[in-house]
Amino acid sequence: MRTGVRAAIASVAALAVLGPIGWFWYDSLVPGTYDMAAMGYADFGGGPAVDHRHTGGLSVADLRGPSGPADVRVTLTARRDGSRYTLNGSSPGPEIRAEQGQLIEVTLVNESVPDGVTLHWHGLDVPNGEDGVAGLTQDAVATGGTHVYRFVASDAGTYWYHSHQVSHEQVRGGLFGALVISGAGDPVVAVHTYDGRRTINGKPGITPLDAAPGSTVRARVINTDAGPIRVWVSGPAYRVVAVDGRDLHDPAPVTGKAVLVTAGGRVDLEFPAPGRVEVGGNAAIGSGETSAEPRELLDLLAYGKSTPLTFDPARATRVFDYRIGRRIGFLDGVPGLWWTVNGKLFPDVPMFMVRTGDVVRMTVSNSSGEVHPMHLHGHHAVVLSRNGQPSTGSPWWIDSLDVADGDSYEIAFVADNPGIWADHCHNLEHVPEGLVAHLAYEGVSTPYRVGGDAANVPE
Amino acid sequence: MLKWSGSKGESPVRTTYRVIAMLIPIGVAVQVIVIAGAWFLVLNDLDSGTVLDNNTVGNWAHAAHAQIGAIVIPLLALALLIVSFFAKVPGGVKWAAITFGVVILQVFLAFVGFAAPLVGLLHGANALAVAAVAEVAAGKAKKASVTAPAQPAVVS
Repeated sequence: MRTGVRAAIASVAALAVLGPIGWFWYDSLVPGTYDMAAMGYADFGGGPAVDHRHTGGLSVADLRGPSGPADVRVTLTARRDGSRYTLNGSSPGPEIRAEQGQLIEVTLVNESVPDGVTLHWHGLDVPNGEDGVAGLTQDAVATGGTHVYRFVASDAGTYWYHSHQVSHEQVRGGLFGALVISGAGDPVVAVHTYDGRRTINGKPGITPLDAAPGSTVRARVINTDAGPIRVWVSGPAYRVVAVDGRDLHDPAPVTGKAVLVTAGGRVDLEFPAPGRVEVGGNAAIGSGETSAEPRELLDLLAYGKSTPLTFDPARATRVFDYRIGRRIGFLDGVPGLWWTVNGKLFPDVPMFMVRTGDVVRMTVSNSSGEVHPMHLHGHHAVVLSRNGQPSTGSPWWIDSLDVADGDSYEIAFVADNPGIWADHCHNLEHVPEGLVAHLAYEGVSTPYRVGGDAANVPE
Repeated sequence: MLKWSGSKGESPVRTTYRVIAMLIPIGVAVQVIVIAGAWFLVLNDLDSGTVLDNNTVGNWAHAAHAQIGAIVIPLLALALLIVSFFAKVPGGVKWAAITFGVVILQVFLAFVGFAAPLVGLLHGANALAVAAVAEVAAGKAKKASVTAPAQPAVVS
């Protein structure tokens, strides 16, 4: 009897420990196939509630680019070779160049990527159905399949394209390329680290640059890696003339400072030749002597001259919080220390709901212990302040923002591109670890599903 | 020092308790070995021009340290706690609970250390505590078997 009582107490104690763990495990499970737009909870940002539907209404599949003859036609054939990925046989893939206003048509052919591929036009605010996010705006293109993207090169600037299917592996492995609008003749500096080797346009070490002495070079630097990089020019003073495809207003010459380019971000650096654009890791492009990496960073919050914005953030109709943290828990049944959005683990993340025409303010803050390069699809946002300190320089427009641990940025944008848009960390390893939320417009639904027959894995 | 088989009359549950408790300090030793190896591998890679930055995913030894530390040892500590309820080791539940708590603290310190490297120093110190309290737990089980052999389990 005594033994029986003891065993019963022991069993209850064991259940008291295992029960909650089991429940948290069960509660975290995500179905094999699901509608990304149905995940989490609607957040109306203090504005009026809007229709958040999961079927019907306006379909993402109908939000496509214009028809008609294309000005620029490109076919990109994706292949996998071991852990490397190529487009038309090379990594990076071919540079796509167009003039502002031209219609671009890209035919993606998947020759041999077993997991399927898509192409996302990073930083170009294309119609939602052309955005290339597997399981949200299209199905992944299976081996042997093709997909045609059509969009207008609406804004001049430096962009890039990359796969948004199993992207943490495919982008790391090289499935990306540069996209430059109205920058004929400007050198592209696509930075990527393959197996620990920093490269520029696929080449390690020093890449020569064909520029007559005294001529002005506009180097279009693209960080295709997973972490921030420091970029500077050895030799002459340089100006940061654009960030994320948006020109800065009246930027002053910079010496003795580097500029931080977040993962997925771009900067255009202008300087008189000869000079050498340094991207760290012994990789550079240009000529002349090298210089030591400046310790000081250029602060874009106070760089260039202030000029009125194209909209008034003070008249925001919705105000959102995007708080990044980290905690112990289960993510789809797997125990670990995972990223949280507003204190909760994926899939219990906010769906930021907006209406076309809304002026949106969002505070992106990070107390997770590590840096996060936050990327909002389909929109450019302007930085209003960092840690309460207002922006005093040129309007600083971003699509990819480096949010260091302990930092809090307030950004603002106009909701002018209907659809369902990913808003995620571009350290792509962090996306399957839960660091993703979405921005959804009133009455828009998607017919695509994560998982499913197309095996869509957007992260 | 390590004695796997139970003394005569030690109940299988108590043996299980003792073996799990001994596996934890062994795990700590493995962790010390692989993390040293991990950073020496990094230094070696740097010599051949490898870039160490936010892209770096770490080498196999980093991965081993992460897997053992975040999964294997916490599972051992959890199993020790569960088994302790049945093992009838005097002080066994208490020391299993302490072990579990110190292991969770260890995982916590590891992740806090990314943002606050000085806190990371405590991760090294606390590793010694993990090994020590688990050895105390193992010692309690051994002492219990030596001083008072368990009665054969009565099934009623």
